[in-house]
Amino acid sequence: MSTQLTANLTEEQVRQISEELDEPDWLLETRLDALAALEDLDMPKVIRTPGRDWTNLDALDYETLVDPLEWEQEKDRVDAEGVDVLSWADALEEHGDLVEEHFGSVVDPQRDYLTALSTALFAAGTVVYVPEGVAAEDVKIRTTMNSRSLFNYTLVVAEESSSVTILERQRTGTNVDGEQYYSGVVEAVAGENAHVQYGTLQNLAEDSYNFQVKRGHADTYASIDWIEGNIGSRLTKTNVETRLLGDSSESKIVGAFFGHEDQHFDLASRVWHEAEHTTADLVTRGVLDDAARSVYEGVQDVGREAWDTNSYQRENTLMLSEDSEADASPKLIINNHDTEASHSATVGQVDEEDLFYMTSRGVHPELARNMLVEGFFVPVLEEVAVDELREDLDDLIVERLVE
Amino acid sequence: MSSDQDQLKETDTEARFEFKKEEKSAFETDKGLTEETVRLISEDKDEPEWMLERRLRALAQFQEMPMPTDWPGQPDLSEVDLNEIVPYIRPDIETRGGAENWEDLPEEIQDTFDKLGIPEAEKNALSGVGAQYESEIVYQNMQERWEEKGVIFMDMDKAVQEHPDLVKEHFMTKCVPPSDNKFAALHGAIWSGGSFVYVPEDTTVDMPVQAYFRMNSEGMGQFEHTLIVAEENSEVHYIEGCSAPKYSAFNLHSGCVEVFVRDNAHVQYSTVQNWSKNTYNLNTKRAIVEEEGTMEWVSGSMGSKATMLYPATILKGPGATDNHITIAFAGEGQNIDTGAKVYHNAPDTKSTIESKSISKDGGRTNYRGLVHISDGAENSSTSVECDALMFDNESTSDTMPYMEIQENKVDVAHEATVGKIGDEDVFYLQSRGLDDDDAKQMIVAGFIEPITEELPIEYAVELNRLIELEMEGSLG
Repeated sequence: MSTQLTANLTEEQVRQISEELDEPDWLLETRLDALAALEDLDMPKVIRTPGRDWTNLDALDYETLVDPLEWEQEKDRVDAEGVDVLSWADALEEHGDLVEEHFGSVVDPQRDYLTALSTALFAAGTVVYVPEGVAAEDVKIRTTMNSRSLFNYTLVVAEESSSVTILERQRTGTNVDGEQYYSGVVEAVAGENAHVQYGTLQNLAEDSYNFQVKRGHADTYASIDWIEGNIGSRLTKTNVETRLLGDSSESKIVGAFFGHEDQHFDLASRVWHEAEHTTADLVTRGVLDDAARSVYEGVQDVGREAWDTNSYQRENTLMLSEDSEADASPKLIINNHDTEASHSATVGQVDEEDLFYMTSRGVHPELARNMLVEGFFVPVLEEVAVDELREDLDDLIVERLVE
Repeated sequence: MSSDQDQLKETDTEARFEFKKEEKSAFETDKGLTEETVRLISEDKDEPEWMLERRLRALAQFQEMPMPTDWPGQPDLSEVDLNEIVPYIRPDIETRGGAENWEDLPEEIQDTFDKLGIPEAEKNALSGVGAQYESEIVYQNMQERWEEKGVIFMDMDKAVQEHPDLVKEHFMTKCVPPSDNKFAALHGAIWSGGSFVYVPEDTTVDMPVQAYFRMNSEGMGQFEHTLIVAEENSEVHYIEGCSAPKYSAFNLHSGCVEVFVRDNAHVQYSTVQNWSKNTYNLNTKRAIVEEEGTMEWVSGSMGSKATMLYPATILKGPGATDNHITIAFAGEGQNIDTGAKVYHNAPDTKSTIESKSISKDGGRTNYRGLVHISDGAENSSTSVECDALMFDNESTSDTMPYMEIQENKVDVAHEATVGKIGDEDVFYLQSRGLDDDDAKQMIVAGFIEPITEELPIEYAVELNRLIELEMEGSLG
């Protein structure tokens, strides 16, 4: 249990945030309930290997990091035809009932301490509404964090037979000093036969702490794909999750990370197969340099009623330096025998023979290494639907390699 | 089919393990666990003071440690009330430390091991045999030629008396300290029986030695300790088998195995575990491997109500190697939670883990494993493969591997698959004239072949037979 923050957080502050957004009572109540629950909630579960926690969220000084009323951001929302991409104030005005129906239905506002904190304090964020039958491409939400703390909340609702690809970018502005805290919650609801691809490119400043929960519900024939690009921050803790609730629904969770210096990534992904004929594919590739450290966990949970399940997972980590550390734990939980499931994980270095081949062709060893590392990410990059995400992620990888 | 196999078919039935003998003992402690009990056991064994002190220290640690309850998917241990266990039963025999002739044993004990086929195996395939009944070794013998070479294979209790220096140095010190886990601490307090194996330098024991453990009484706990020291350039293969008749009350088996593999030595430790399905099997097994040494764990877990067992290897010397081969079979009401742990603490170390599990009729198998590569363990490689086969929709199979990598010049690979028995494979075999049961048995036999081929033929046959027994009549 953690109480670091509760002391300097007041109901008054929460009411003020709510008032500024001109919120309906139900949302204010949800926030106040979350605030009240803080006292009894635990920190989010971090990935454990036997007998050890690798990420210590309790060690962060939330009291100095979080300043609920002083938030500042730059938001650039690019919408696509037929889609509403709205601020919370606009969304509550235009789609009040819809927001009320779905808010908190996918991510439990009180799932843990940091999520409840986010629910109580969020002021920034976006609602993406895709009406029935609309096929939308390339919705872009670019967030620049300009304050010590920022709480961002995104709700995506894709109605029956609609589709949308979304890019969310997170970066830090130039005029922020000291350590920062970014907290993001994303809820995605995919109706029958709806298809959502939600990509995130996280490139926050390297003195920031980053906590994100993303979770989707997929109805019959629907698909929810998550793309996770993690480049920035000092410490990142993410949970990316899909519940396959409808028959024949599908989900992909695709991740790329590149850690250097003393960066720490704690990345958890999870898929629940809860209906028949569902498919999941988890693919993560990461590179670690300097003293960076990654902890990865992927869970494929096949329920008792999930007949005819297909579920796959691959995780590959490349280590470029002596001092980097990588932990991996892909897990299978299988309760239905009518399942084809597999997972694999590897940790290694750039292949010596590949390097030798390239240097023997006259490529400078360093350039050869960089090309091989860039190539290592190709299977992940190929999954990205939004060009801006794919190209910028690739650019950031190359930039980090030549640093 | 040869006559040997015919004979096995006839004798290898459930009844072979299920028979019960009247409980007859010379000394039995009260139920429960107190300092008094520990002192009684130690006194009955006439132990030196240092061993009593170790027992009492372990007891204090046991009392402080919590029960493991928060592991995802772990067996339910709430029934395991240690105050209901009779920790120590000395069978009524005259020779302490084990007779050297089967004929010297009381008839009902002799008959027990005859039925289990141990004397027969000794004649044909083993260098030495130890047999434990309840808490004590009742029979221990090794071929003379090994004795002459200085190989020691004796009752652990006797070793405390006769080889105090070796035991003092190795017994629950560096390898498995009692503080390792709650049941290791319990074991440290009330251990009894088991084997001590010492193989001197440059000695290859070319036929396996075997220990067989039998629990006969209801509500007892068996806590045998096995200590193997293989000196430089030596080689030995140790096999343990276990069984018990089924009672309504639970039995507890909490053994401990410690293996020291010195430079360039080679130890294989094989287990065919067939405890009755009221037994909680909570073991700790660990090996420390020095330079260029090799440790191999081969285990088949068929029996028990719940098993929690993760044989561990510490690769301490450069070039050390570990191989784990495990198979778990969980039927109705069983939760077999096993896996492997390997610590790569030196350069050029290698490990391979191959795990196969089968679950049916509501049984649950878990693979829980850890591979740790320490900073500085350059050019280490590890490969982990887990395959699970599920028969029906009441069963559960979880795979939970962990990898902790602190060194970059490594090659780490993990792979796991889960699937049902292939309808097409069954159809193919049926179309060749096999019935459904035989087809499935054949597929299972093929699935576990990588394990059985590591065992001497007698044990491979036994393992296959045990699996056939598990599958008989229950397939659709």
